[in-house]
Order: sequence, then C-alpha cells, then structure tokens
Amino acid sequence: MFNGFSHSVMGASHEKKGTVCQDSSAYVANDRYAVAVVADGHGSKKHFRSNIGSRSAVEATLETIENFYRNADEFEEKFPKNPKLVIKSIEKQVIARWNAKITEHLRQNPVTKDEKKDFTTDEFKKIPFESYYGSTLITAVVCEKFSFGFQIGDGSLVAVFEDGETVMPIGDDESAPANITASLCNSNASSMFNSFFEQNKTVAALFTSTDGLYTSFGSDNDFLDYHTIISSQLSEIDEFEGAIVKNLTKRSHFGTEDDTSLSCVYSQEIVDEKNDVLTAKVEENKRLAKERKERMLNRA
Amino acid sequence: MSEKNKKNPAVKNDKKVKDNTNAASLLDFDDDDPLGATSVSKKSLVIFFLIDTSGSMNGKKMGELNTIMEELIPEIRRVGEADTDVKVAVLTFNTEIAWMYPEPINIEDFEWTRLKAEGVTSMGAAFTELSAKMSRSSFLNSPSLSFAPVIFLMTDGYPSDDYKTGLKTLKANSWYKFGLKAALGIGNEANDDMLAEFTGTKDTVVHAYTGGQLAQMIKIVAVTASQIGSKSMTLSDSNEKELTEDDVYAKKQQMLGQQIQELVDQTDGQNVPFDTGW
Repeated sequence: MFNGFSHSVMGASHEKKGTVCQDSSAYVANDRYAVAVVADGHGSKKHFRSNIGSRSAVEATLETIENFYRNADEFEEKFPKNPKLVIKSIEKQVIARWNAKITEHLRQNPVTKDEKKDFTTDEFKKIPFESYYGSTLITAVVCEKFSFGFQIGDGSLVAVFEDGETVMPIGDDESAPANITASLCNSNASSMFNSFFEQNKTVAALFTSTDGLYTSFGSDNDFLDYHTIISSQLSEIDEFEGAIVKNLTKRSHFGTEDDTSLSCVYSQEIVDEKNDVLTAKVEENKRLAKERKERMLNRA
Repeated sequence: MSEKNKKNPAVKNDKKVKDNTNAASLLDFDDDDPLGATSVSKKSLVIFFLIDTSGSMNGKKMGELNTIMEELIPEIRRVGEADTDVKVAVLTFNTEIAWMYPEPINIEDFEWTRLKAEGVTSMGAAFTELSAKMSRSSFLNSPSLSFAPVIFLMTDGYPSDDYKTGLKTLKANSWYKFGLKAALGIGNEANDDMLAEFTGTKDTVVHAYTGGQLAQMIKIVAVTASQIGSKSMTLSDSNEKELTEDDVYAKKQQMLGQQIQELVDQTDGQNVPFDTGW
C-alpha cells in the first residue's frame, strides 16, 4: 500500500504583497501506484493567472497518470520495455490536458480590464494566452515494479531508496537554454522536459518540491539530508506531518520568501520495514555534515 | 481508480496555511524542530577580498591591514544579521596565490589569519583564480539565492605578471560582471588607473596614503559594499516597468560609487604617510 502527503505554503513575499499562492501540490496513493506532483506558477506580471495554471498542471498530471493506469497490468508490463517513449507520451498528454484546461478557463473567464491595466494595448497583444497561466511541473510516480519522474522548469525531485541512499535522479536542466525558464506555456514545452526511470533499486519514498524549498538550503547535502530525515519519520506520519508543515512555513518565511510546496509518496511497507536503516542513515548524515564543516573551517 | 482507494487527490493552492491551521503555532519557531538539523538559508552574499601580500607590503602596511581586517569582521557580521547570510572568501597573491579557507566561510565562523608579505605581485594569476572559483560549480554553489558578490581588491603596487590576460578572463565571468567591484590603492606606488580597469569605474577606487586612511578606506568600502550588495532591489521600477539584471547591477554599482565618494570626502587626511613613515 502506498501513502503520501502534500503541502503548499505561501511565501512571505507574497503575503506582504497580498497576492495568492502561485504553487499547487497534490498526491494520489493507492494499492497499485502513487503520484506526487507540484507546480509553481510563474511570478512575473504577464503570468497573471499562474495560480490557475499551476493548479491545472497538477490536475492534468493526475488525470493523465490515472488514464495510463486504466489497464494497470498492461501498463506496468509495457513501460519498462521503452520507458523513454512512454514518459514522453505521458508528458505530451499532460501538456494537451493543461492546454485544454487553461483554454476552457479563459473561455469561461475572459481577461478583465483589471488584469490588463498594467500593460499597454500593444504589450498585451504580444503575450500568448498560454503565458497568462505559465507554470512549472514536477511529477514523481512509484509502483511496485519501478519508479519514474518528469519535470519542466525549476524544482526538485528526490528519491530515497530502501537503503537510505538519497539522490536527485534528474540532473541539471540541460534542455532549456541559459536564462530561459522552461515552462508548460512555452510553444516547445514537450522538448523541455527532463525525466528519470528506475527499476533496479527499490524506492522507499519519492518527493517533489517547488524551488522555494531547494533555495532555502545552504547546500545540496543539507537538502538531501532533509528528505532522508522525513523518510525516517514516515512510519509515524500522523505525528510528524505537523512538523513538516511548520518547517515548510518557516522556510517560506525566512528563506527566500517564496511559495513552497512539498509532495511525497511512499511505500508504507518499506518505510515500516526499513525504519531502522533510514534512522541509522540520518545519524550517519549528521556525522558526515559535522566532518564537512570541520574540513571547511580548516584554514590554509 | 475507484474512489475508495484514491487518497487525497485534492489540489492545494490559493490558500494560506493559516486558513486551515493555527497560524500562531505555525509561526512559533522557538520550539524544537525535528527538521532543524538542516538549517534555513537566507539569501547569501559572498564578499571576496583580493589582497596583495607581495614583499612591498611587508612591515607596517601588512601589520595595519591585519589589524584592520580583524576589527572589520564584527562590523560586516552586523550587516548580514537581518536578511542575509554573509560569507567571506580571501584570496592572497604574491609569488603564489592562496585562499585563506578552502571555500567561502560564513561570517559567523570566519576568523582572520594574520598574513605575511613576501615575493612579487601575481595579480593576473589571482584574477584567473578568482574567475575559476566564481562559479555555480565551485564557490557559489549554494542552492539558496545569491546576491551578486562584492569583490574588493587591495594592492600597493603594479602587477608583476600579465594582469590584462587575467582581467580579460575575469571580465568574461557573469558573477564578476554583475558583482560590486571596488579597489583600494595603498601608498604612492599603487596605480589608480589600473585599479579602475578592474572596477570598471574610478568612483569605486579609493586610495590610502597613511595608516589612518587605510583603516578608514577599508571600512568604508567593505561595509558600504556589503550593505549595498545585500540590498534587495525590486526588478520593477515605480512605473511597474520590469527591470533587467543589468539595470539592477548598474544602479547598485552607481550607488556604491556615490556613497564611497561621499564618505571619502568626509574623512580627514591626518597621520604619517605610508611611504614616508614606513
């Protein structure tokens, strides 16, 4: 049985401005598979409906994965034979669904005078309507046989394996040119995804997060250790979930003040069975962090 | 998927945490946080000091500089208290180039190592080394957002190597391009024109001819640059026109030049000159 949680908290900078939370997050977990998804609506003024865009992205993703799982046995059998192709197909369907959702939203909610007031007529004409809803998307999926994930734009995907090894399986974004934020609203969005597929290692937990979380850390090591700590507490998630929300809120207030979302899915059996291993890994990480600091302070 | 085994598919956004939880308790951060082992990073600012430790700095210049830098650290610490994690990296250059610490150190942990002066002035090599380390894959690898760095060069003479090649390499570095650059010439031999080549403007080049001036200039430049460097400037102006990073950089560098010149004008010119007294 899979389980999960997801939370989105508003960044302090957005609270100060009185704007809405532009992040969205959700998870689905059942006895067959689990999906953790987050999306971060863009902040600049031409993306004035990005909160709707991020919510549409999350909904489109959950619907797409559910659709692929209509025949679960067949899907899980065929997927490992050509994972890249299947993931690409999923990404394309997500984009199509997202486009359908925002098109429908615009049809039902034409742009208001208030939304146009910050633009000249010429400026506004040049903005493609998809940009109003611009958003990133980070998705992680796990089933008993394999795990995979895909991402467009900033954000992070972290995998914690049953032995406590914690990694970001999707490397640095190489698909987007420098200084261009990859987004669902780009006309070539389908070519801007990065993805991973894993079937040789058993996943204990998968996490997706918007970049508000990553940028609240001082190092990649701290960021990864954070996920290992959470994984070591998943056996008692009811008691721990409040602490996670509190910590996310702290990070969104004292870090970069950005909206922050974290979504997690995990195998209940594995996190219960491997709890001692995960707890030992947390202690080892603390020791390694101490050693790193000592090395850093070693003056020439 | 059947409804009974679908768990929490609701999409969350458009609501503040306080809408569905107790805001007072969420914002009470003084209790034990089980996730506190991984601390929260604020926006970070790295201050690079490039310090000439060639033989001509030997004696009173180096002694004064060491003392001033020891005194300066607590002052810079105060700059970063509120919203910024300030880090310091010190690169010294004589015949050899060397970093004081293997990577930028949080100002809270930073302790000054007294420097010794000897050898020639390999400034060009220092520029090349600085450029190599000012990278996301090296010294500026923190996930937390970084302000453009402050780069402060101090020297008492002319480079003994091909500094132009090193400077060309440095000028191709984006962190250098957007960084706040300032330079301090110490004594009569330091060449302000060459220092202006490094900073890009004469406004952020200052000169110290005496021990008293050295203390004043180092503090003026380091503290002012740190304050401006850690200042968040919105990426839109009063007319809601979105500004580019170039605009923000230009404004900050201009502000640094103006403030340094205003503060320099307020200083007095007492004390014994380096090159006569030392």
